[in-house]
Amino acid sequence: MEILVYGIVNSVTLALMALGFTLVYGISGLPNFAHGALYVITGFIVWSLLNTLKVPYLAAVILALLVTGLIGAAIYYFILIRIRGMATSEIIASYAIGLAILEGLRWGGFKGMTYTLPAFIPGSLNLGGVEIDYQRIVVVLLGAAVMGGLWLFTHYNRIGLALRGMAQDERAAMMLGIDSDRMAILSMFLGSVLAGLAAVALLPLGNIVVEAGYNVLIMAIAVCIVGGLGSWVGAVLAAFVIGFAQILTVVYLEPHFQMVVAILAIIVTLILKPSGLFGRQKELEERV
Amino acid sequence: MKAKWIVAGVLVLGMLLPFSFGAQALAAEKPIVIGAPLATAFLYGWTAERAVKLAVEEINAQGGVKVGAVKRPFAVEVMDTRDLEPGVPVSDALLTVEKLILEKKADFIIGGPVRSEAALAAMDHLSKYKKVSILTTGALTPLYHTRVAENYDKYKYCFRISGESKWLVMGEIIPSLVEVGKKFKLNKLFIMVQDVAHARAGGELIAKNMAEKGWTVLGKPEIYPTGTTDFSMGLLKAKKEGAQVILIWMDMPETSILLKQWYDLKVPALPFGSINAAVEQPGFFKASEGKGEYSIANVVNAGNVPSKATPLTMKFYDAYTKRWKVEPEGYGASSSYQAVYTLKDAIERAGTLDSEAVVKALEKTDLVGVYGRVRFDPKSHQVIPSVNPKEGAVGSIFQWQKGKRVVVFPDTIEGGDIVLPPWMQK
Repeated sequence: MEILVYGIVNSVTLALMALGFTLVYGISGLPNFAHGALYVITGFIVWSLLNTLKVPYLAAVILALLVTGLIGAAIYYFILIRIRGMATSEIIASYAIGLAILEGLRWGGFKGMTYTLPAFIPGSLNLGGVEIDYQRIVVVLLGAAVMGGLWLFTHYNRIGLALRGMAQDERAAMMLGIDSDRMAILSMFLGSVLAGLAAVALLPLGNIVVEAGYNVLIMAIAVCIVGGLGSWVGAVLAAFVIGFAQILTVVYLEPHFQMVVAILAIIVTLILKPSGLFGRQKELEERV
Repeated sequence: MKAKWIVAGVLVLGMLLPFSFGAQALAAEKPIVIGAPLATAFLYGWTAERAVKLAVEEINAQGGVKVGAVKRPFAVEVMDTRDLEPGVPVSDALLTVEKLILEKKADFIIGGPVRSEAALAAMDHLSKYKKVSILTTGALTPLYHTRVAENYDKYKYCFRISGESKWLVMGEIIPSLVEVGKKFKLNKLFIMVQDVAHARAGGELIAKNMAEKGWTVLGKPEIYPTGTTDFSMGLLKAKKEGAQVILIWMDMPETSILLKQWYDLKVPALPFGSINAAVEQPGFFKASEGKGEYSIANVVNAGNVPSKATPLTMKFYDAYTKRWKVEPEGYGASSSYQAVYTLKDAIERAGTLDSEAVVKALEKTDLVGVYGRVRFDPKSHQVIPSVNPKEGAVGSIFQWQKGKRVVVFPDTIEGGDIVLPPWMQK
């Protein structure tokens, strides 16, 4: 039961970290290596609003998500748009932006271990004989809501359908009158909001530190590679594979191997199925 | 009437004249440059930087350092070694040390490098350039002073005024655990450490010694990689196996996740942090929403948390708080402050900045400092530790109690006894 409960928590945590990254890549083909920095900056924005401006928690969260979304959109509009289609340049530029944000935060004094966000609901409960705190339950519920919400948005909303169209075939979508750059801006906005959402759900579990940006980026990349770059379903499935594998490693092997699991999953995937679990388009290219 | 004011003005100016010449004379003297290689983005680095600067400001305000017949001011050059950040190679820290020596013309080195691996690697540079260095923060490896003892002629320029892990374990952590065990009838230990060399070695040493003391050590130490964000399985295992004390040895920020989880799950085992960087900062209690209550940590030297180890302890504590608007934040503060004063004392006794003479003078150091009597072992250049501030450098193990950091070990300086959380009280 413990493995089941904490396996789900760990998997949803990984899915939340990765969904924003995979959404941007799936729609606009942009590998947003500033993803981890956007995660961290959301935490610090919420913290600043809460502690400096004394904004109520919910309002601070909404405002921070909006600001992070706008930062993401601005990154595309002012920088990435100029190098669109040049994969290596996109990686270098987005990573550099992420680095600048993270180091800028550090330079601005956001260092140390005392920046934290309060838990949404304090305390814990016994779930089928397993003790679990409410914040982790919030993480699971929020993760489920995000996944469900994304599915509904991309299936029943005009903008969501346009985003899906872009993800499936950008040229065909453009022929139907969908503006590629506008959709890319929107995808960066949504991807950044998702990174921020992961931050506000996960950061109350510990503290806000700049280093988390690098860890989140690595985990997001691991999940996306295993799931198949750009596939939302693949990312969720990969999050569950890696999440449970990590918990099983902790229980049956040793905790210090849990980080190796994610890296090992990347290596095994790249050797056996480079397109990942659900990277269908790439798989076709591989066969050809 | 006017003439009266003019005469008075001239008199006042006349009285101030010698002071202004004095200040000018001090400023005109070439400063003694202290190079401080520190991981400034991390607690052990920035608190050391603040402490060094505070000491330098105080010394300069008192007229500087007497080198022979001349009084010279101190100047500090701080450079970021980044050696506590994941993925930053040791060579970066070495370049920083070299830059301080060659570009910034540092006369002495005080501070780091902070990570043990980098501090060990820097020893060769210090030897090559014959620069006297006083290590004050971070590095705890016993290999540092063992190397000095084994190859004195080469490494004689290296001193360490803070602690080292062997003493920390054998002289402080184990006696403190034994004391807790006796007082509360606890004898089941669960060990959780970070996957870094000092923590793994420390965890194993504690496991071995506590087993010899008759404690039941539950399994092998659980080793967590840096960046771990979930400790639930380890905590549930500790709970299931009936652990009464959880020994934590971690310097990663994610330790706060562990402690929050411990509190939320009400694990009936005392969280005893041998090294627990997340707990040390004065803001930890508030940041953890009170979940840091009962957490214990070792801050290596007295003065990093409030105590009355010597008359100078609270003098330093209050001066730091006044200067930086925050209390001394953890390991590296009192030792860095003390290092500057110790260097001043040695230079004044040597009467020169010559490295060989200052080494000899440092070896003869015997003064009452912030955390007790400060003396160096003449062979290994490690500060002589003790649990009695009248005999040597004392450490501090503290517990968060009602939002305050209360020293609970050693009993010569303690401010209170260890308290168990309510869910552990029978």
